[in-house]
Amino acid sequence: MKRLFVGLSILMLFLISLPVYAGAPLDAVKINADQVLDILRDPKLKAASAKEMKKDKLRAVYVNMFDEVELSRRSLGMKWNKLNTAQRQEFVKLFEQVLEKAYADRILSYTNEKIEFTKESMISGNLAEVRTKVITASKEIPIYYRVILKGGTWKVYDVTIENVSLVQNYRTQFNDILAKNTPEQLLEILRKKVKAQ
Amino acid sequence: MKSLSLAVVLFVFIAVGCAHAPHGASSPAPSTATSQPQPILVASNSDEVPPTPPKATVKSPETPVKSEKGSLDNDASLDYTEEVKEEEKVTIADPIEPFNRAMFQFNDKLYFWLLKPVAQGYKVVVPEDARVSVKNFFSNLGFPIRFLSCLLQADFICAATEVGRFTVNTVWGIGGLMDPASSKDLNLQKQDVDLGQTLGVWGVGHGFYIVWPVIGPSSPRDSFEIVGEYFLYPVSYVSPWYAWFGVRGLEEVNRTSLSIGDYEALKEAAIDPYVALRDAYVQYRWKKVKMKRGAQMEELAPGGVRMER
Repeated sequence: MKRLFVGLSILMLFLISLPVYAGAPLDAVKINADQVLDILRDPKLKAASAKEMKKDKLRAVYVNMFDEVELSRRSLGMKWNKLNTAQRQEFVKLFEQVLEKAYADRILSYTNEKIEFTKESMISGNLAEVRTKVITASKEIPIYYRVILKGGTWKVYDVTIENVSLVQNYRTQFNDILAKNTPEQLLEILRKKVKAQ
Repeated sequence: MKSLSLAVVLFVFIAVGCAHAPHGASSPAPSTATSQPQPILVASNSDEVPPTPPKATVKSPETPVKSEKGSLDNDASLDYTEEVKEEEKVTIADPIEPFNRAMFQFNDKLYFWLLKPVAQGYKVVVPEDARVSVKNFFSNLGFPIRFLSCLLQADFICAATEVGRFTVNTVWGIGGLMDPASSKDLNLQKQDVDLGQTLGVWGVGHGFYIVWPVIGPSSPRDSFEIVGEYFLYPVSYVSPWYAWFGVRGLEEVNRTSLSIGDYEALKEAAIDPYVALRDAYVQYRWKKVKMKRGAQMEELAPGGVRMER
């Protein structure tokens, strides 16, 4: 009887730990990256007039793939705490628009590149890094994604291209600006940049 | 005799099995990767475990999008707390910023007014394969500097790889136009080394930030690469001066033609392009030194599992 009980409780332990499978970080990135490639290679969207449609589809993938609040928070670092909630929300929106304007056309210009997923490693319990390589005709570009586990999904909060972290790069810039300006002035700079693009 | 051979077979079997296991764990196959996060989650915070298998959540794009709207307010009100362990700060002193900003402007104009238009024309005339060959040729000539850097870093595998590459590519790669050495069979990859990095590996710091005209972002330490190139890069010995200028020009135009759009993207994405480029330079150089200074330093273990606390 005792033995059965022990056996059962061990079995229970196994059963309980089953849902812990958090879906590998690598899979989460890969599913989204594959969707981007599908959009880029979709023959129905080949025409130049379909560019806006492609961008809309890319935006949907982006929202699903990235944790934009986490990305913004880390890009501001300690300075994030100087913004009030309304300012933070506007910052997240503006920052997203800046990134979209800068990278959408760049991503749309890719067609026959290959993405190779090389490695996945845990940083801590809810942070991981997924390493990929984009292979073009003339070179290989290492792109690493940092992902965070929130509410059951892994979402990207930093992208490191050729060893340059996007979040760190922006943090340096925002810190430089906020050293001399108020948060409101930073938002004004971003508003102007979004308008000018 | 029979039992001995049996023991040998058993030993080989076990040894292969042991050696194989960690290799398989670090392989890119997603199936093995799935199992990795499990022990960590169990160990760290079992109460925050997601109730549903997230595979489904990842696959359906609509569900998280909807919830995002609502969570934005809550999420945005969370303060930022410094995670000391996660990232080290990489910065560089910039005492001569006004000069550097002027040089940045100069290089920017040089790119948009001269280098880019020429490279675009060149790109139209010369097919991509040929441009890659030209790039390989110049890269092959960079062998002496890379070889010396490997030796000065006491990295003899790196030095041997460079010698092998240079021999193979010069002889079978038609004087370096092709790169058979980095093919799958030989797998002699170009070593990512230079003299500034070598000084960094020795523990020499950057000093401060300098933007050289034409050459671009650098520091006193990394400027050793410029000195090294003067003596060890064969193109430096081309004479008379206009021939040298022509060859260097071809090299630059060819390189630019393969990366048109990179600088534009960086500039477009930046709030302050000067600061963005400076930071990109520092991060890039820092990682390059760190990579060589010992993989054990802060690099994640190949198995990928590193516990906090």
